[in-house]
Amino acid sequence: MSLVLNDVTVSRGVGPVISNVTLEIKPGEITTLVGPNGAGKTSLIESIAGVIIPSAGSVVMNDVDITKFSKRKRARSGLAIVEQGRMIFPSLTVRENLQLTARTKADFDEAMALFPELEKRINNNTVLLSGGEQQMVVLARAFASKPKYLLLDEMSLGLAPVVFMRLLPVIEGIAKSGVGVLLVEQFAHLALGIASDAMVVTSGRVSYHGSPKKLTSDAELMRKSYMGE
Amino acid sequence: MLVTTFAGLTPGVFYGIIGILLTLMSQLTRTVNFSQMAVGMFGGYVGMTMIQKLKVDMWLAAFVGLIIAAALSGIIGWIIATWLPNAQIATRSAVTVAALLLIVSVSSVLFGANHSNFKPLLQTNVAEIPVAGVKLFVSQNLVVLLLFALVIIIGSSLLLKRTMFGVRLRAISDRQAAAELIGVNVKVLNVGVWVVSGALISIAISFMPNTISNDYISFSLLVIAGSAAALVGSFKNLWLALLGGVIIGVLQGFVASLPAFAAYKEWVTFILILVFLLWNQRKEVWDVAR
Ligand SMILES: Nc1ncnc2c1ncn2[C@@H]1O[C@H](COP(=O)(O)OP(=O)(O)O)[C@@H](O)[C@H]1O
Ligand SMILES: [Mg+2]
Repeated sequence: MSLVLNDVTVSRGVGPVISNVTLEIKPGEITTLVGPNGAGKTSLIESIAGVIIPSAGSVVMNDVDITKFSKRKRARSGLAIVEQGRMIFPSLTVRENLQLTARTKADFDEAMALFPELEKRINNNTVLLSGGEQQMVVLARAFASKPKYLLLDEMSLGLAPVVFMRLLPVIEGIAKSGVGVLLVEQFAHLALGIASDAMVVTSGRVSYHGSPKKLTSDAELMRKSYMGE
Repeated sequence: MLVTTFAGLTPGVFYGIIGILLTLMSQLTRTVNFSQMAVGMFGGYVGMTMIQKLKVDMWLAAFVGLIIAAALSGIIGWIIATWLPNAQIATRSAVTVAALLLIVSVSSVLFGANHSNFKPLLQTNVAEIPVAGVKLFVSQNLVVLLLFALVIIIGSSLLLKRTMFGVRLRAISDRQAAAELIGVNVKVLNVGVWVVSGALISIAISFMPNTISNDYISFSLLVIAGSAAALVGSFKNLWLALLGGVIIGVLQGFVASLPAFAAYKEWVTFILILVFLLWNQRKEVWDVAR
């Protein structure tokens, strides 16, 4: 039981932006993926989410081949994505954002409980929230769908580190509840700190796969993962 | 003069309803639906032909017309949702212009020259108000259309705010791609909105006053008066769209009562559109200047 990418290649306009990537996301674990700008991290997530269909390879979720599934069908089968940027529905209230994905009142309450500070904002339109609060809404909304796997694309973008650090323990908690998490991040040290598996992608290829500790302690490797080759 | 001006109220409310539907469509489906009147017209003509040729009861004919308008509108919506799901609003709207032209030309083949006696379902007046020596007639159609406009405005706002169905529609309106990613069935909901808008315009047409000219083309092009009404509400505010329609209708009635200008009645719409576009332009220039 896991979410597996087998030898996935993603092509975009000019050519492949992801080449022969294989990875496995296990339930209850956090896999952190880092890499310089333009390395193909978002394209990789989008190929799992169904925004782009891989030109080769397959995506398998709990032994079901979902490579050709529609976005909606993937969502229904237990995949939740937090896209890059703050993907709130701005004219909807916090409550309505969560209601979109929560199937039961219990799921809704459990998601709200991730961030008690949202309680007083529950009837506000999310456009009025701060950037950090908006990311809390997006994360809570994803969790409310009771996903089996959760893909997070640069949630920290545009947030102060201290605000991002508020999200990290929540992501850890979500993983502990049994969800397999793929954490794509630029705040590499923070994101690797909570990971059990680490990957570096450069120019569309996996250039490191192994222990997060080993990666963070290797200054040269870290430099490459930020800057590229 | 007063009588004619007042008589402009009924077509005015009718334009308002078109404006309200255009506003809702542009918000919920990112399309300026130029085929809005054409689908209703087509359903109306099928109904009228049934009455004339098959001697069907007019309420039944109106119902069949409604089903046809709704289906036709649904087909246009389906085409746009299937092939242009992420296209710009201009491209999506262009499809509705093509649909409008297609419907008008198919109509002229199907219904021939038979288009002079389109009648509203209700024919009598509910009240006569004596004012300054003349009598103003309040027709049943005016009352029904006005109530219908209120039902659409209040009903749609309740639906959008109070039901999960409405929340999903608003989510699509905010961010269609993101809504799809969280599992919202964007296509079905979109096509649903099209079907409902076809049905609603068809109901309004059944009570359309026969003072509005109704050959295929003028009938279908009432969508222009409707857009002018929607423009008054900036394609956002339903109440202002209704008000805009009423202003157009009443102004047209007033102009028609002046013998020297009666021929220019239709110009009212264009002048209003122009004034509003210039007004908005002026505001933008002002905003930029600041
Ligand atoms: N919509 C797109 N169309 C064409 N090329 C794209 C598109 N989005 C990204 N790319 C290209 O794909 C490559 C990988 O981008 P991306 O996946 O966004 O990387 P990352 O998320 O790691 O910054 C880049 O070279 C980028 O220019
Ligand atoms: Mg990216």
